[in-house]
Amino acid sequence: MEVILKKDRLGEWAAKLGEGADVFAPAFVEDCWAFTKVEPGGEVALDHGNTVRPAKGFVFPQREVLYRFSQDSGGAPRLTETLPDDPRAVVFGVRPCDGRAMVRNDKVFTCGFADPYYQARRERVAYVGLACAEPPSPNCFCLSVGGSPDAEDGLDVLMTELDGRYYVKALTAKGKDIVVAASSLFSEAQPADRSEAESVHAAARSHPQRSIAAMDKVAEGLKRNFDSPEWDALARACIGCGACTYLCPSCHCFDINDEITSRSPLAGERVRTWDNCQFPEFTMHTSGHNPRETTGARLRQRICHKLLYFVENHNIQQCTGCGRCITHCPVGIDIVRIANVMEEAAGQ
Amino acid sequence: MVVMEDIRARAKELLESGKVRAVLGYRRSSAGVLAEPAFVTAPEDTAALVLDATCVENLALYLVNEKKRQRAEKTPDTRPLAIVAKGCDSRTINVLLQENYIKRDEVVILGVSCENGGVIDTKKLNRALRGKPATAASFDGNGSVKAVFTGGETAVPAAEVLADRCLECTQAYPSVSDFFFGEKESGRTYNRRFTAVSAVADKGMEERSDFWAGHFDRCIRCYACRAVCPMCYCDECVVDSTNCVVKATTTADEKANRIRWIERSVCPSENAMYHLVRAMHLAGRCTDCGECERVCPVNIPLRLLNTMLEREALEMFEYQPGLDPEQPSLISSFRDGDPNDFIR
Amino acid sequence: MQGRNSTVAEAAVEPRSDKTVEAQAFEPKVVAFLCKWCSSAGSDLAGVSRLQYPPNAIPIQVMCSGSVSPLYILSAFNKGADGVLVSGCHPGDCHYLKGNFYARRRIYLVQKLLKFVGLEPDRFRMSWVSAAEGVKFAEVVGDFVKDLKALGPQRKLKAEH
Repeated sequence: MEVILKKDRLGEWAAKLGEGADVFAPAFVEDCWAFTKVEPGGEVALDHGNTVRPAKGFVFPQREVLYRFSQDSGGAPRLTETLPDDPRAVVFGVRPCDGRAMVRNDKVFTCGFADPYYQARRERVAYVGLACAEPPSPNCFCLSVGGSPDAEDGLDVLMTELDGRYYVKALTAKGKDIVVAASSLFSEAQPADRSEAESVHAAARSHPQRSIAAMDKVAEGLKRNFDSPEWDALARACIGCGACTYLCPSCHCFDINDEITSRSPLAGERVRTWDNCQFPEFTMHTSGHNPRETTGARLRQRICHKLLYFVENHNIQQCTGCGRCITHCPVGIDIVRIANVMEEAAGQ
Repeated sequence: MVVMEDIRARAKELLESGKVRAVLGYRRSSAGVLAEPAFVTAPEDTAALVLDATCVENLALYLVNEKKRQRAEKTPDTRPLAIVAKGCDSRTINVLLQENYIKRDEVVILGVSCENGGVIDTKKLNRALRGKPATAASFDGNGSVKAVFTGGETAVPAAEVLADRCLECTQAYPSVSDFFFGEKESGRTYNRRFTAVSAVADKGMEERSDFWAGHFDRCIRCYACRAVCPMCYCDECVVDSTNCVVKATTTADEKANRIRWIERSVCPSENAMYHLVRAMHLAGRCTDCGECERVCPVNIPLRLLNTMLEREALEMFEYQPGLDPEQPSLISSFRDGDPNDFIR
Repeated sequence: MQGRNSTVAEAAVEPRSDKTVEAQAFEPKVVAFLCKWCSSAGSDLAGVSRLQYPPNAIPIQVMCSGSVSPLYILSAFNKGADGVLVSGCHPGDCHYLKGNFYARRRIYLVQKLLKFVGLEPDRFRMSWVSAAEGVKFAEVVGDFVKDLKALGPQRKLKAEH
């Protein structure tokens, strides 16, 4: 389903959707772009670059209660289910790299064993993508990892900015529903609209980006250079802050802890939180041995997970080229530079 | 005038003579407009060293990190490290010396004066460029910063893009050094010490409460602020429940009964606790390098917590961290005239 | 921290009067760090002298007020204390000679920090109470509880669950 929305009616679409769901859109808060709840009557302007925090947080929140427990003295433990029951949500302004990352996250959380918490949220959240007219960041490299500025995977709707209007393409049943919900705002897309959209996409694709020439050579290089001292040199400046992992749209490791709220009677929650392979304790064994003791080992793990292991296990690149890890690394550690180094090392 | 060639020449000489095992300096980065830390071991690589408005990192952090790295080595290279240190960085080194984390002969300090310059704040630069990412930034010698971005360049008044800590700095040259580059002058005319923190401290209680609650709500506990802080060198952080130094001899009881001061949960109360405890642990030790605030991915104005305590230390206890490596620490010293009125 | 203005409105701010003190459902929880040699002994004296004062303070005996880490104070608020009291020997009388001087400086800083982030300043108190000052101890606690009742439950730093 392909329709046209006049730019000045975007707020109305958001307002209509707001009647039955929480609507989010990027807003410039504290000098950075963040997905922010649109209040009734609020403005929606899709003039952002990319958000600092990725869109995965809507279906995989940083903190999630798995269940509550309580036990009176001498009694049996009682468990209270806490499956998510959040209102439906619509998220505007999702870049194609975040959409594609959702496909990767879906593989992890719904294939084989369906994580009920993830699943419950995934069904309730609609991702409305915005195609990139030009790379939002100087560190973008979606083309090198099989993506594109107008990729549709993982999104429910893809919007493309044309002259004075948006080209809106519904990609899934959920996407169709949110268009139909405000059908009076849209008009049928004409062939001229489609060709304008196609030329916007083509122009975006020809914009220069950071580049990695051959991902299979990168994988080869990573495999051959597992023990290379180069890793320590690349990670010399790494401070182990974890920003790269927390801001990555396709990183998904988590930790589970019991948090006691009352000792007597016993009560508490089992809480799932994001975990971070760049923290030194991520692989700390209870014996005190840590197989990834150095920043070099941890950096190697992250790069290999993204560009090698995930490819071997699932046949797709896990990295979607959003460039957040490069932009926000405090000390300039750069996955593209590392991939290029590995490409060159592949032949050796 | 700081002559870059002099710094490169000195660094090269130190490496060629074998006096130091590496030179910690800055070089251009592929990742963005800011310079990145360089660990130079080959004398010819000193040609890549730079020093300009994008050299924001506090390299004293790596004095700590390299020391920790060495602990794991069987035959560590015990030669000193050379380090390019700005005024603020040198004060960090003084505190590390004061606390005996490093010894004076373990470091060769290439002190550089910021003179009338300083370093940029990328958030302010973003604001000035309306979100266009900058690819290069430098002082133009006329009180402005020339910012280059894809498609053009512009000059922005330095006072608009300089880091707050530079605007508030009272001593823009190192207090300790082995080699000194530039002029020993406090040519700062901004005179804005503590203005950022006063702006918040002067708000009413509820406004302040909302201000901080809003920020702690956005914190993602990535611990970047702690990771980048040279003063946070504890192997085991008291407010990190995952961070537990475990050896083969640690008993199960010790592990099970370890006190969890805050939960792993990322929520406003636990985030506030983390930041407040960290601020207290830095009282009298933080030398305002501003890195905590710079590295925060969600732009929490962290430096304010530390400068607030810094201001109290100065006004109530006449204490300034980092100027004298022989002075006692702020909280393990006292004076008879310390404030007593608040005690019933 | 809730960070919403409604927090203050919600916290029952009742006018202080004898009638409403009885009608109050809210009983503030006070965590009191008392140094063993002076203040804790002072609290014992208050008890032995049968002095009446509100039972809201949970005493935690520490060896010296100088051993009270700001971490304990912040943790008490995090776990839901409505008020925190630190009490030690008078300056010059510290059993360990200097401990209370360190406390004085450190506690000054932590209370400034708490004030800076918007916690009501009245929720945190420090006092010098000697082993002979049972009456003073009862007064300090009594005044504290009275003031806290007016402030209502502490929500800004309390862990939410």
